[in-house]
Amino acid sequence: MSTPRLFRGGQAVDAEHASPRRLDILVSAEGKLEKVAPEIAPPAGAEVIDCAGKILLPGLFDMHVHLREPGREDEETIATGARAAVRGGFTGIVAMPNTDPPIDTGGLVRFVHTLAREQSPIPVWTSGCITKGRAGQQLADIADMHRQGAVMITDDGDPVADPYLFRRALEYARHFDLLVACHCEVPELSRGGAMNEGARSYKLGIPGIPACSEEISIARDLELARLAGARIHIQHVTTARGLDIIRRAKQDGVRVTCEVSPHHLLLNEDDITDYDTNFKMNPPLRTVADNEALLAGLLDGSIDALATDHAPHTEFEKNLDFASAPFGITGLETALPSLYERLVRPGKLPWDVLVRAFSETPRRILGMEAPGFREGESADFVVFNPTGQTKVDPETMASKSRNTPFIGQSLTGAVEQVALGANLLLAGKQT
Amino acid sequence: MSATPAPPRRKDLLDIESLSREEIVFLLETARPFKDLFTRSVKKVPALRGKTVLNLFFEPSTRTRASFEIAAKRLSADVTNLAITQSSVTKGESILDTVETMQSMKVDYMVVRHAGAGVPAFIAKHTPAAVINAGYGNHAHPTQALLDAFTMREAVGELAGRKILLVGDLLHSRVSRSVSTIARKLGMEVGIFAPGTLVPAGRPDYMKSFADFNEAIEWGPDFVYLLRLQRERQAAHFFPSLREYHNVFGLTRERFLECRRRGIRIMHPGPINRGVELVDEVLTYEHCLINRQVENGIAARMAVLYWLQPAVAPLPDEKEDVTS
Repeated sequence: MSTPRLFRGGQAVDAEHASPRRLDILVSAEGKLEKVAPEIAPPAGAEVIDCAGKILLPGLFDMHVHLREPGREDEETIATGARAAVRGGFTGIVAMPNTDPPIDTGGLVRFVHTLAREQSPIPVWTSGCITKGRAGQQLADIADMHRQGAVMITDDGDPVADPYLFRRALEYARHFDLLVACHCEVPELSRGGAMNEGARSYKLGIPGIPACSEEISIARDLELARLAGARIHIQHVTTARGLDIIRRAKQDGVRVTCEVSPHHLLLNEDDITDYDTNFKMNPPLRTVADNEALLAGLLDGSIDALATDHAPHTEFEKNLDFASAPFGITGLETALPSLYERLVRPGKLPWDVLVRAFSETPRRILGMEAPGFREGESADFVVFNPTGQTKVDPETMASKSRNTPFIGQSLTGAVEQVALGANLLLAGKQT
Repeated sequence: MSATPAPPRRKDLLDIESLSREEIVFLLETARPFKDLFTRSVKKVPALRGKTVLNLFFEPSTRTRASFEIAAKRLSADVTNLAITQSSVTKGESILDTVETMQSMKVDYMVVRHAGAGVPAFIAKHTPAAVINAGYGNHAHPTQALLDAFTMREAVGELAGRKILLVGDLLHSRVSRSVSTIARKLGMEVGIFAPGTLVPAGRPDYMKSFADFNEAIEWGPDFVYLLRLQRERQAAHFFPSLREYHNVFGLTRERFLECRRRGIRIMHPGPINRGVELVDEVLTYEHCLINRQVENGIAARMAVLYWLQPAVAPLPDEKEDVTS
């Protein structure tokens, strides 16, 4: 039995408050927010956690994570991925279904959820496939997966090529009000490409992936979603034009939401300097102008969510030439500090926008309650030290994989504690 | 035959939409004495003696054809069946050729089934024979609607204010369109429960749509009308598997027991797929109307044949009859 805890002297940020404000938080032994006020005198017997100079923010939520289990437990497991998530300040994550076997039946959804309950300190949900085996040929058992708690369906990196089949999938999912998430890409246009097509790919001699490979696919998917009346979510938008297409569809009443990854906000093709495969992901890093357009979209609400697309690969796999290495980088442990250092601290991204996009909205999209600092609710928040340092050190990362472009760097800001219910995760972590 | 004054006779029956409520009620009332006939040892009346009924089927159908054939024979008509494969008839011209050939044989009634929308109407325009649409495409199947309405009235009496829930493949079902139309015309409320893939776009607003079978049953329908699911729809991606279809959209044992508890009548146009649209037990349920629908089909079709009036030029002896 734990004791009550008083988080004292911290500066809280949430979806409603752009600027930090002093809040003391008393968490009961049962893990409820017993009292939330600018100043609370420590009750007898309570453990006092000094949060002076720290930022308190609601637990983050990542709706796009590759946990690799079952099938590629050498890259990541539900247990290690969930630990990496906690390190990053996440209190909820959604696994992608591109495992081996792919999550395309109710039984497999149940498997992931059962394993998560046994091994993860935070809630883990899985998505399910749209088509059997992600092969784009036949609908998967969508109702069964939904019944087992799959929170969305997606064929992940292999978008459903046949527009007729995709229409049927959207109509079928609509019945269950199940979200259909799309990795948008026309494979025929991307084939052989390894980075954004343009001046930089010319300079490096790396085959390019044109921006329109993504944009055409977004436009197609949104037209079909409009026809079907289904809820659709565009994953990792990377281009200004793609975002404009989404923006217009939203204005027209299409039920679309979208996400952006931290790396597509923070990095661009010019960061690919020495053929480092930790800068290779799909969709690829685009241009500086796209970075700016995406940030503007996040600020004006056109982009609903932040999501890491955490995609672990072993060192062996990534240790190849740029064209041959697999796509994907990890993101759970670096997302918050990298966004803080490069956007929040310089004043380009207010805290409330970050909390909305990385905690509240993704949960709302999936029909979940979003945490906040409201008395009576279960504790679900992060203690973040804005002057701490997150050392992206391959020796100490929780993820099984280290394929991050921030490897070896020290990022400003560190997640120190995660309060989830009566549990204090990460307590005593040294930064 | 009935206390209801007969509305003016029509030449053709092409859809339910064009029938007035009075005409529908008249046909339903007319079917009743025909049904009483079935319990007699001689099930025949001479109403259409000397008339010729042609079953012109461009689409395979055994049940509907047999039903029309029996109906016509019980009215003492002569019946000829002509099954024409789709492959040999692909152009409007060819349909017309076929119709003209048949017309030369001086048939009085043509019962037409065709996959193409509007074909019975097209034929009706070009023949003096009375044309009965025996189901075309996804659109209309008026005699099915009449037999269903007859069956529902037989079960509960007045239909105004009653509720019918249509379940399943509304998109491909000619039955669902005609049945919902007749239900509406008779003052019933219409609910639908179907996967998003099998709900037609542009359906009328009066159809109340449900997201969950239990919720639909909560709505309190008097009739649950299960539509036939053609197995080949799975290959066309309308649903992932028959098992999942049954679990979500079928009358499972659990849902059936709830329907039975509430005394809800169960209907299906046939042929049924056991274990897909419904569990076996439904068929022995006292309020399962499926077999009665088949029986009533004959009576309803007799009423239609009896009521329609071909525009075939009458022969001299008949003229005398008329004037005398």
